[in-house]
Amino acid sequence: MRQSNRNHWLLDVLMLPIGLLMFFPFYIIIVNTFKTEMETLRSPLSLPTEWVFSNYARVFEETPILRSFGNSLFLTVTSVVLMVLIGAMAAYPMVYNRTRLNRMIMVYLLLGFMVPFQTLLVPLFQLMTQFRLIDRLYGLVTLYLGGSVFVFFLILGYMRTIPKDLSEAATIDGCSIQGIFWRIILPLLKPITVTSAVFQTMWIWNDFLSPMLFLSTRENTTLVLEIYRAKGEFTVNWPMFMTMTVITLIPVFIFFIFMQKQIVKGIVGGAVKG
Amino acid sequence: MGKFMRQLQYQVFLIPILVIYTLFTIYPLIRSFTLSLTNFNGYSNNYDFIGLRNYARLFADPAIMSGISFTVLFAVATTVLVTLLAIPLALILDQKFLSKNVLRAVFFFPSIPSGLLLAFVWGFIFAPVPSGILNTILRELFGSGPQPWLSDPVLAKISTIVVAVWAVTGWHAIIYLAFLQSIPRDFYEAASIDGASRWQQIRYLTIPLLAPAMTVSILLLITNGLKVYEIPFALTNGGPGFETHTITHVIVLRGISEAQFGLASAISVVFFLIVLVIGFLQFNLMQRREERMQ
Repeated sequence: MRQSNRNHWLLDVLMLPIGLLMFFPFYIIIVNTFKTEMETLRSPLSLPTEWVFSNYARVFEETPILRSFGNSLFLTVTSVVLMVLIGAMAAYPMVYNRTRLNRMIMVYLLLGFMVPFQTLLVPLFQLMTQFRLIDRLYGLVTLYLGGSVFVFFLILGYMRTIPKDLSEAATIDGCSIQGIFWRIILPLLKPITVTSAVFQTMWIWNDFLSPMLFLSTRENTTLVLEIYRAKGEFTVNWPMFMTMTVITLIPVFIFFIFMQKQIVKGIVGGAVKG
Repeated sequence: MGKFMRQLQYQVFLIPILVIYTLFTIYPLIRSFTLSLTNFNGYSNNYDFIGLRNYARLFADPAIMSGISFTVLFAVATTVLVTLLAIPLALILDQKFLSKNVLRAVFFFPSIPSGLLLAFVWGFIFAPVPSGILNTILRELFGSGPQPWLSDPVLAKISTIVVAVWAVTGWHAIIYLAFLQSIPRDFYEAASIDGASRWQQIRYLTIPLLAPAMTVSILLLITNGLKVYEIPFALTNGGPGFETHTITHVIVLRGISEAQFGLASAISVVFFLIVLVIGFLQFNLMQRREERMQ
């Protein structure tokens, strides 16, 4: 309701304390990275009496945080690029070659849409073991590619709105079926590709269940797995844990700042389509 | 170019998705159903068909029964609480005030990082020792004694739900906000000319127009609630006892850790059916509600 144009300063007074309460856990994380272990245990709430910066150096020295960052980045980028490509490719014949066979394939793809990942866990674990994909980063990428179906449905809706004249004109100009997809359709899909990529990035970057089950060695660790390990290792050393958390949150925060509009657009787009 | 060649050129584009989907979704789905009828333990290859015995065993397993009941409680509680909080929040964030944009980001951000990480931090806040953060705050403010936030059966459930609500309310407020912003201003002008009070406008104009947003938001909340794993796992590790075990936790425990593949597959199948039935019922109910309200 936006009837009036004046600022409701009362809302500021009401909402700012609630906002501070929401932010409180982040204050706790940040403030405790600058304390010694003793001080965190004694007074976790207050600002540090003496600012300590050594926790940051220690995290980089004692944990494979850079390696895990690299692994998370590799997993996310490879999976997301492949997922978007596979999803877009699949949408192409569905829109431009509407045969009875393709309608049946569509129903087939819809069947599995409601299946929760957890239902597939036990057989997937066996499958990954059989194919020797356990503790292989590319093995996990293969598993994540199952998410292409979600991307496929997102892109499908968008591709239908692209005017058919474009591909018809290109056909007359002698462009092949392959060429039309790669040179004309794919570049036009950019807005929906960005939206789907943003969503899949959040999923894979934050995923814990699959890396925990399918990656075992420290060499193939991810950021979220390192956080999990750190909780076990530093049960008593909270400043180290909080420091790792801050280092992990920085890229997420940067992503949030730059992608906030995209995320909102995706939420809204998904919501409107229902 | 022959018709067949043309068809072939199009159909090639479907090969990757069909291979991936068949191998990593359909095959495991069928396998879950068939495994659930066997006593396969993952190691020895001679296993037997045992009918529905695994399904009967589900009821005798305290971890599984606890997992199902807590997961359903969690899904319902988070859905109700988030909806009750996100709608007023969206109404407020739709107003004009100075700190609006900052507050939007502050409410929205907790839904972006990994739930595991955030729940670990909340575990620190809820620490049951007297020097724990929440216990310290309560002592300073009200002089109350320390509470076992994560080790009491009831408090542990409440704490888990609170953390989840904290994390996702902003996300759902954004869904409602988008719908609010699409309501034409004339509607409100017409309503106020007709003498409708502010409250009446919300009750009889805004809320009915938010019905489609509610369908989407509640569907997301229920399905994500049923799939919950990380927050309870990180906060309580499913404890005390089996009190905050989730279905996913139990599948991992019985299926992967203990290699009781048959039993875990039976849980998986039951879980799939629960998700399917609740999703279907909820979607139908909400759509009928939408029609009634508009």
